[in-house]
Amino acid sequence: MLASLEWLKQYVDINIPVDVLVDKITRAGLEVETVTYLGEGLEGVVTGKVTEIHRHPDSDHLWVCMMDYGQGIVQILTGAQNVKQNDMVPVAVVGSTLPPSSRNPEGMKLKAAKMRGLDSFGMLCSADELGIDNKLLLPEQRNGIFILPADTPIGVDVKEVLGLNDVVIDIDLTANRADCFSIIGLAREIAAITGCPLKMPAMDVAEAAGGNAADMAAIKIEAPELCPRFAVRVLKNIKITESPEWMQKRLRACGMRPISNVVDVTNYVMLELGQPMHAYDYDKVAGHTLVVRRGGEGEKLMTLDEQERTLDPSMITIGDLERAVGLGGVMGGYETEVTGETVNVMLEAASFHGPSIRRTSRSLGLRSEASGRFERGVDTIKTHNALNRAAHLLEQMGACETVAGIVEAYPEEVKPAVITVTPEVISGRIGIDISKEEMIKTLTGLEFGVEEEGDALVITAPSWRNDVTCNADISEEIARVHGLDHIESHMPVLGMAQGRQFVVEDVKDTIQDYMVAVGMNEVMSYSFINPSAFDKLQLPADDSRRNAIELLNPITDEFKVMRTTMAPSVLSAAAYNLARQHSKVAIFEVGRVYLPKELPLKEFPTEPAMLCAVMSGKANDLNWSTSRDNVDFYDMKGVVEGLMAKLMLNDYKLVHYAVPYLHPGKSCAIEVDGKIIGWFGELHPLAQEAFGIPQEAYILEMEIEPLVAAAIAVPKYKHLAKYPSMSRDIAVVVPLEVTNAELEAVIREHAGELLIGVKVFDIYTGKQVAEGCKSMAFNLTYQAADRTLTDAEVDASMKKVIAEVGEAYKAQLRA
Amino acid sequence: MREQLLAIKEQALAELAEVSSLDALKDLRVKYLGKKGPMTEILRGMGKLSAEERPKIGQIVNEIKNLLEEEITAKTTVLEQKALADKLANEKVDITLPGRQPREGHLHPVTLTMREIKKIFMRMGFDVMEGPEIEKDYYNFEALNLPKDHPARDMQDTFYITEEYLLRTHTSPVQARTMQSREPNSPIRMIAPGTVYRCDYDATHSPMFHQVEGLVVDKNISLADLKGTLELFLKEMFGNDVKVRLRPSYFPFTEPSAEVDISCVICGGKGCRVCKNSGWLEILGSGMVHPNVLRMSGYDPDQMSGFAFGMGVERIAMLKYGIDDLRLFFENDLRFIRQFK
Repeated sequence: MLASLEWLKQYVDINIPVDVLVDKITRAGLEVETVTYLGEGLEGVVTGKVTEIHRHPDSDHLWVCMMDYGQGIVQILTGAQNVKQNDMVPVAVVGSTLPPSSRNPEGMKLKAAKMRGLDSFGMLCSADELGIDNKLLLPEQRNGIFILPADTPIGVDVKEVLGLNDVVIDIDLTANRADCFSIIGLAREIAAITGCPLKMPAMDVAEAAGGNAADMAAIKIEAPELCPRFAVRVLKNIKITESPEWMQKRLRACGMRPISNVVDVTNYVMLELGQPMHAYDYDKVAGHTLVVRRGGEGEKLMTLDEQERTLDPSMITIGDLERAVGLGGVMGGYETEVTGETVNVMLEAASFHGPSIRRTSRSLGLRSEASGRFERGVDTIKTHNALNRAAHLLEQMGACETVAGIVEAYPEEVKPAVITVTPEVISGRIGIDISKEEMIKTLTGLEFGVEEEGDALVITAPSWRNDVTCNADISEEIARVHGLDHIESHMPVLGMAQGRQFVVEDVKDTIQDYMVAVGMNEVMSYSFINPSAFDKLQLPADDSRRNAIELLNPITDEFKVMRTTMAPSVLSAAAYNLARQHSKVAIFEVGRVYLPKELPLKEFPTEPAMLCAVMSGKANDLNWSTSRDNVDFYDMKGVVEGLMAKLMLNDYKLVHYAVPYLHPGKSCAIEVDGKIIGWFGELHPLAQEAFGIPQEAYILEMEIEPLVAAAIAVPKYKHLAKYPSMSRDIAVVVPLEVTNAELEAVIREHAGELLIGVKVFDIYTGKQVAEGCKSMAFNLTYQAADRTLTDAEVDASMKKVIAEVGEAYKAQLRA
Repeated sequence: MREQLLAIKEQALAELAEVSSLDALKDLRVKYLGKKGPMTEILRGMGKLSAEERPKIGQIVNEIKNLLEEEITAKTTVLEQKALADKLANEKVDITLPGRQPREGHLHPVTLTMREIKKIFMRMGFDVMEGPEIEKDYYNFEALNLPKDHPARDMQDTFYITEEYLLRTHTSPVQARTMQSREPNSPIRMIAPGTVYRCDYDATHSPMFHQVEGLVVDKNISLADLKGTLELFLKEMFGNDVKVRLRPSYFPFTEPSAEVDISCVICGGKGCRVCKNSGWLEILGSGMVHPNVLRMSGYDPDQMSGFAFGMGVERIAMLKYGIDDLRLFFENDLRFIRQFK
């Protein structure tokens, strides 16, 4: 909310520097976002009168003006076409400075100039050149030189005339402080903080029009749940003009555009008292009766902005006896708008149900100063103040005569909250002792009613503090005025406890640490993805991963559905980095996927924690002595095997399993307890291309929860072997399709109990091996727990192994 | 015979003095002390000597053998030392060539920061609780004293999935979930770290970010306790010199509510671009749990009171590491991630 300091000073004395004031109100809970010194950079520009004007003899667009600026007469040339003899205009004489504006982004200092042979000692200024936002001006003020009212004195600083010596404070108002959404509310707060008294604006109304409003207008509330109070005044003999400059400059300072006196007064009173108002053309309101009701289904209303709106029963509708004439609290109707021809006015001040206003203004995209105030809630008890203040101002301006009395409907009187609480309870919540006297002083300063009843305080909240309803609210008032800085802190006195996290979180930590230790970098991606990622992954149309939870209001299509697989996130991160001159990526993410049980969502989806890793490119950093090979399937397999060992999960199987985005021949799934918990392998060439990855990539995707049980087991110690082991090598030439696992199984089966390990250490295809075959070399380790083995024992076993392997394949013993 | 022996000795010593390699030394030993050496021959011929002479000659033989043994051993040591010295003098690596470094990866700065926050609170006895990211309106808003169409819902632009389900806008729903899962009025000390979502995307807002929520509920918990706990946390996080300021604010789920500021970690409070010249940085939101929130989750606000707080993890990471662009966290540029450890 924007507040003019000059306006505030009308209602409370402010004797402290602006920065001190800003600090004080910020510390009391009204956070000042910015402080703007209007007219900053505008120096020495004064009002001046055009005493003579004629065309430049050598130009068809320049004018030569003789300007009386109070300290003499100077010749100034202008290219503007809207200046006439005797106009009052802002004159920037030589030596004055102008603030940055759209025409002079750096600001400027005036120097004498020659234009087509004639001297010009300064310039006449437009509003823009003075630093005034064009949006805040009447249309006729926006172009050309800013013509000032004719009665403006000569030689006065324009800052004074145009309100540019003001300071505007922008407050980021919290949703609870409806009362501070007004100049008077802020002034009251400043008064309470600084101890200076609050002065109220004049609200006396002459009511000189004769007659009685009650005979001229009627109000009905048919939806009291949406409108607790609705009041009007009737104004006669309206003279529509511009509002006075003092009012315009305050409106501008607070970010509102002056329009005409009646509209300006309704806005002015809203800014001043926080009560939104609306003016109807009395003679266009059928039956001079306003009815507050719910909108009809499909009912139409043309609003002030000339848009046709379709109403429904959730919308607070103001009707006359024939039709809808406004959306209560959101926007008035076009047909009953006040215009230049308006003679009589019905002025409305009402109170509407905040949530309903919020819903309507959001659904229609109509958010305004008024709706913002109604959403937070207005002071229902003091509705009349606004009507009286507005009538007073219009009378003062000679713009109307007021009819006696206020016509209103107020079905149920609203009562202020009364809270009974002891000072001990308040002090207890704050945690320091604050005296009863201080509490009473603070509360009465904020205009709460306080009475003592035994040990307790009976506190009546002021009508404008609809946010105060319970003890806790009172403690906040006391604490914030006392100053949170003055609360001495201490640690809570609680029993000793061990902070713990869920075991799955421990496992995640272990996984992250392992992945980092083996050289992988952690990435973090948005949980929402573009559903086109499912196409990139080559998922078939009926793949369950396509059943992703969709956002109703995504920011862009890129963030449209909740991921059902981590693969797109990590593959995108890999592609991003490979496109940025990285010769390799080795990255992983630990995150969640979101799996609905049904769509649209009727119950909570599951959010399993997943690990996803991607490797692609060089296995090693470029180094003078390491391999330059790219990573392959076995690099990723090694990471998986190492991770499983780290998590003490020995009981898993790697099985063939079709994953649409993996190479069918270079991938496998991880099976634990008969359940597939993840997979890894080479990315399918089509997926690789779709994600824009320049070479083969290897991806792992695995659920974390199934790893927990093994990971939390405590390792059990096994006795160290007392006797030495013996080792033997054999090489076996077998057809290419024979797998390592098959051969190992044959070896293990026939080697006997003394065999404790088999390792393949060489695979060879080439000249010495027959076409379609490979030579595989194994190292066998033998050991006994109770004795040193003899060569004879081991040789016997080897003999058997060779015989058996030879029977199945063709085996030969190596050295 | 005696002369013969002395001649052998002289010759052996002379040859020994000439030996310059360990191999030659080995040969020398075999030559003089081996089974086929001259001494052995002499010993064999001793049978011809008189019983008187025999022990004398035997003694001389032993003396010569011992002497040669000693001399050869000493020479061995000298030659070994020399060989080692030669080896060391000749072997050399280029110490300026790069080594074969094991590739170490890096954790994401959000993970590092989250771990640090968790560690500090776990040491104070806070349990770490978790909750779903796809949440019901009830837990995200209503149970936190934010009924439908409350103006404060604007503070958090929400991604909706259905009328009822949404992406949680804060980790606060874990408060309500935790209280509702416990015996009414049982003490609680917890934090809830996690991912949250807001429908906001520009240089200073990310549609997804991370928060850590905290909640303490017990008897006689006060605003002063809140202040003490958060001061301790912030000093652990940012160092003992950091100054902490509480500023009244408004959150629907706490009353009184306070924004917590720390003295600017960049300029130390003198005023800079990061703190917009105020000397202060907003770091977390906090307050005393609103009685309605306790009541809705089955706690009696007349018996129990509590405080709650919430902080943005990216915000803390940015201040800690001096990161000046929020978007970097989710771009996953390795040049960024590799900077943190």
